[in-house]
Amino acid sequence: MSVLLPMLFLLTAATGTAVALTREPRRQVMAMAANGLVLALLFMALQAPDVAFSQLTVGTAASPLLFLASLASIRMDRRPQGSKEE
Amino acid sequence: MSPRIRRWSLLLAAVCLLPAVLRVAWAMPAFGDHPLPYGDAINALAPIQRHVTNMVSAVNFDYRGLDTLGEESMLLAAVTGASILLRGNRGEGLSARAGEIPDRPISPRSEVLAPLVRLIGPVTTIFGLYVGAHAMTTPGGGFQGGVIIASGLLLIFLGQDYRVWRRIVKSEMMDACEGAGAALYGLAGFASMSMGATFLTNILPLGQLTDVFSGGLMLVENAGVALAVAGGFTVLLIEFLEETRAENGEGAP
Repeated sequence: MSVLLPMLFLLTAATGTAVALTREPRRQVMAMAANGLVLALLFMALQAPDVAFSQLTVGTAASPLLFLASLASIRMDRRPQGSKEE
Repeated sequence: MSPRIRRWSLLLAAVCLLPAVLRVAWAMPAFGDHPLPYGDAINALAPIQRHVTNMVSAVNFDYRGLDTLGEESMLLAAVTGASILLRGNRGEGLSARAGEIPDRPISPRSEVLAPLVRLIGPVTTIFGLYVGAHAMTTPGGGFQGGVIIASGLLLIFLGQDYRVWRRIVKSEMMDACEGAGAALYGLAGFASMSMGATFLTNILPLGQLTDVFSGGLMLVENAGVALAVAGGFTVLLIEFLEETRAENGEGAP
């Protein structure tokens, strides 16, 4: 336990910094999901399984997916078929 | 702002804020210290008063049940708002064709994905039901279970096809789940009022400690939250993913 917690704190700091330093939005979403996963493990190690569950489902699964869907939607080609020449 | 000025303003801000940060850091309680009495009080009282072993559920659904009703309404409002915004532009129909992004090809689905998801999908959904149903005894509860159910249903999209997912997971049904769940929570409160107690008082028999069906009215509220969250998150996923489909397109998924 004495090794586990400091390691998880370091991982949290590292993944959090990675989120801030990543510039490309789609990669940033993935970095955020990784940060969420580490946070869920940290909550688990700190004996807060309820919070860990919520963090895992919302922070690692649901919100990255919604971000990715939004990013894909923004970049989509919305011109009608046949008017693609430019 | 040039990079030079930006760097200097960062340095200035750091120098100004450093004493405050250090002061707060030194005044922080020791790691693992919990000076407030509420956690210990709940741990001691909830098994006796409410016959449940998951204290988080006892706080969420009973001692602070009204707060959870507020959160429930917030989720309902958020999902409703997102649906209205997105459907307002697009309508309620579903598009068969995936939207195209310039210079990113739509790769075909891998062969290994379908059998894998057929294994993982049902297990995930059942695990969600399990987590939701055991809110009174083990960690988890309606919210966590609901999100797991929604992601288990989403796996149909991943493993099969967008159209199959939309055919099995009906948008109208999920809207109804969301609304019915929130309504169930509210009605549970009015049920206690109709018995002459205050709003959300636990009026049902509490059952036996460590039994799945313990906790009385908390079970109804938990079921309401599970329904609302499973429905609400699925509606959100449907609306967001429908945004990535081509408009009124037909053809390959």
